[in-house]
Amino acid sequence: MFELFKEKASALMAEVHTFKNQRETLEFIKGFIKENTLTEDQKAVVWYDTWFLDGEKKEDLLAELPQITFEITPEIASKAKIGINEVDGAIAESGSLIEVSNHIQKRLVSSLPEIHIAILPTNRIFPDLKTALRSFNFATTSYISLISGPSRTADIERVLTIGVHGPERVVIVCVENL
Amino acid sequence: MLKEEIQKALQNPVIAKALTNFYEAYVVAREKAYEGLDFEEIRNEIVRVKSYTAEHFDELIRKFTEEATKKGAKVFYTKEIKEVINYVLQVAKAHNVKTIVKSKSMATEEIHLNKHLQEAGIEVFETDLGEWIIQLAGQRPSHMVLPAIHLTRYEVSDIFTKKVETVEPDIKKMVKFARKNLRGKFLKADLGITGANIAIAETGSLVIFTNEGNARLVLTLPKVHIAIVGIEKLVDKLEDIDPIVKALPRNATAQPITTYASFITGEREHWDGTKKEVHIILFDNGRSEMAKDPVFKEALQCIRCASCLNVCPVFRLISGLVFGRVYTGGIGTILTAWTEGLKATKDIQNLCIQCGNCVKICPGKINIPDLILEIRRRLAEEEGLPLKVRAIYSVVNNRRLFHTTLRLASKLQKPFKQGPFIRHLPLALSEPTQERSLPAIAETPFRDLIKKIKQPDFKEKVAFFAGCLIDFAYPEIGEKLVKLLNKADIKVVFPQDQTCCGAPALYNGVMDVAANNMLQNLNALEQENPDYILSACPTCTLVLKKKGLLALRNQKVSSEVLSRAEKMAEKVVDTSYFISRLIKEGRLTFSKPLEEEFTYHDSCHLKRSLNIWQEPRESLQKAGLKLKEMFESDMCCGMGGSYSLKFPEISAKILERKLKNAQDTGVKLVCTDCPGCIMQIRGGADKKGLDLKVKHSLEILAERL
Repeated sequence: MFELFKEKASALMAEVHTFKNQRETLEFIKGFIKENTLTEDQKAVVWYDTWFLDGEKKEDLLAELPQITFEITPEIASKAKIGINEVDGAIAESGSLIEVSNHIQKRLVSSLPEIHIAILPTNRIFPDLKTALRSFNFATTSYISLISGPSRTADIERVLTIGVHGPERVVIVCVENL
Repeated sequence: MLKEEIQKALQNPVIAKALTNFYEAYVVAREKAYEGLDFEEIRNEIVRVKSYTAEHFDELIRKFTEEATKKGAKVFYTKEIKEVINYVLQVAKAHNVKTIVKSKSMATEEIHLNKHLQEAGIEVFETDLGEWIIQLAGQRPSHMVLPAIHLTRYEVSDIFTKKVETVEPDIKKMVKFARKNLRGKFLKADLGITGANIAIAETGSLVIFTNEGNARLVLTLPKVHIAIVGIEKLVDKLEDIDPIVKALPRNATAQPITTYASFITGEREHWDGTKKEVHIILFDNGRSEMAKDPVFKEALQCIRCASCLNVCPVFRLISGLVFGRVYTGGIGTILTAWTEGLKATKDIQNLCIQCGNCVKICPGKINIPDLILEIRRRLAEEEGLPLKVRAIYSVVNNRRLFHTTLRLASKLQKPFKQGPFIRHLPLALSEPTQERSLPAIAETPFRDLIKKIKQPDFKEKVAFFAGCLIDFAYPEIGEKLVKLLNKADIKVVFPQDQTCCGAPALYNGVMDVAANNMLQNLNALEQENPDYILSACPTCTLVLKKKGLLALRNQKVSSEVLSRAEKMAEKVVDTSYFISRLIKEGRLTFSKPLEEEFTYHDSCHLKRSLNIWQEPRESLQKAGLKLKEMFESDMCCGMGGSYSLKFPEISAKILERKLKNAQDTGVKLVCTDCPGCIMQIRGGADKKGLDLKVKHSLEILAERL
């Protein structure tokens, strides 16, 4: 099922990477941030973290990469280049991410910056939409998004252009063995 | 007015090119998007879900309101456009709203919301790229899903430069420009307005699809959100969304899924720690009335994919700028009838050529051409017909008078006749011959010819219904049919009292005339109690088998007459099917002639209404011909019966493509099984002086016996 998800998501121009554990994933993310931002770019990376950085010392991370901020407002997220959050699942048949964003900051980081890094536990991939919907409680979730690749339009002359109001790159980092 | 608009659109090369390119890419891309899925199964699910909604509006509105309210949203239901606008203005006033950002919503177009907001001094920004471009340009959208498809990148660059700031005609740069410019509007907006694609009663949720990410920002950034949702968007259960989620993106833009699907339920967090204010307006405006109408109820199965626009031969030439008002195209015509009233469709409903291309592609299984015909009928009933038209129909209804007139015309045409064609009609009558030569009226109509043909007295007999074109313009087709059937030891009986099948009246909504024709034909065809009634014109076949019965029912004939008509209808067979059966049974064989190449044109009624398209090809191939398919072989030729007289300019443009497609195959023979299509394509080829023979299959098969 993971292979199907990877195939479908890649076809939609999402970038899919797999890592054995949280440690390796974090290394990749740090490397990615270094490649795509400069140390002096203040608040270039907005990170909405709930569980991924458990056990990590946030102060150390900020010292290594001062361009990261955990403080998220629309203004800050809008100026940031990279937004990082954890997604709640994925759908293999369509290559979509499932993002439950009762907390608005989680959604700010995935809808405003140019690049969205989505942290996906590989044990949360559902085969299809029907199954996925059944596992979420609509009584308690105010906002669920399905995200299938970067934003796009063909409104001018039907020429497909990637990157409109939402991110122009979606980088999915899949974490095994969680 | 309409004629001018049509001319303007036809003369704009950008529209036709843009839409045609889209169509051709769309058909291929859509097929790919549906790979591995069963479209028929999905459609049936959609019909189940949406027809349940239409039958349970009250229940679902109540359920949705209960659930959404429980979860903190405010829900307001109304039938009145005015009340929606007042509600929005009140909310705007209460929050001192200066700026609004909107994501694309047809419901808001329906009520002309932007105009009212702007009149109240509020700035409204469309955020969907196509809609924003149109808003800046002050233009109407040309397509419901791709509103700016009629504009080139240069025109878009001009619009941006004039209305906002200079930007060069580079598409990537212009998209980045839109992102940057609208980002500021998103951030400062006090109120966000959206529509919704689906409203789920079970959970009180709304589902909104976009590709650009603009709806996410409209739903996330402003403190207040108003969703304006037509009640047809309601579904009962969460699982009911599945077929819609599968079909909507695939049919709308040939995508397996849109980039974003947002499910919002109740109230939600605002970024300052407070809760957003969420208002959901459930909007009626004619929808519950539509649900009560047994004919139009099925139109509520529409999921707003606009794919009917994407396969319409007329729409792709003139676009929604002409073929529609707020809602455009085939479904747009129907929605206009219910949201603006029947009279509002007067011009646009005429534009439907009734080719049926939209029927198989509609995920809601809506019979759009039939519903438009019903609109036509209701308009004719309400408005009555102009005297001139009534006079024509009264002649058509009087068989002897009608046929005498045609025989007279056969004599009068002599000065204009050039062989089998009339190439130029004088002055005021010239329009019908501008793009296509008309057939000359035969000196001896088939009804007279048949009396002279000596047929052996075979035991097996069939009745032949010739129809006007074969009777008076192409009697040789009837002769060829007799030759073929005699060879199979079948005698052809021609009931002399038969008259016009009534299609011209039917397709113009004039039911009393159509029913009258049907009765006359019923009496004529019953007489010899034939086993089969053959017709070599699929339009006539369809009328005798199905459409004529509708006219009879509409005129409330007795159940006795109706049952007689139904019995007759069962015996009606199109010659293309009958002949193919004879060939399969070995009752017709062909000598081994030289191989000739042909291409086949599927007439709309034969393929889409009667489901016959393999048999004629097989028959011709059995007769030794080699088939070379043309591109869009089943696309309408532009005849459309009386359509080519109502809109000769559109008919001509459709014909142009058909002729090009035929020529592109490199073959010199076009076969078809409809005399109407023959009149159109043969006439067009003659007018253009093309080296192309156009023949009815019967003609070719008979000469190869």
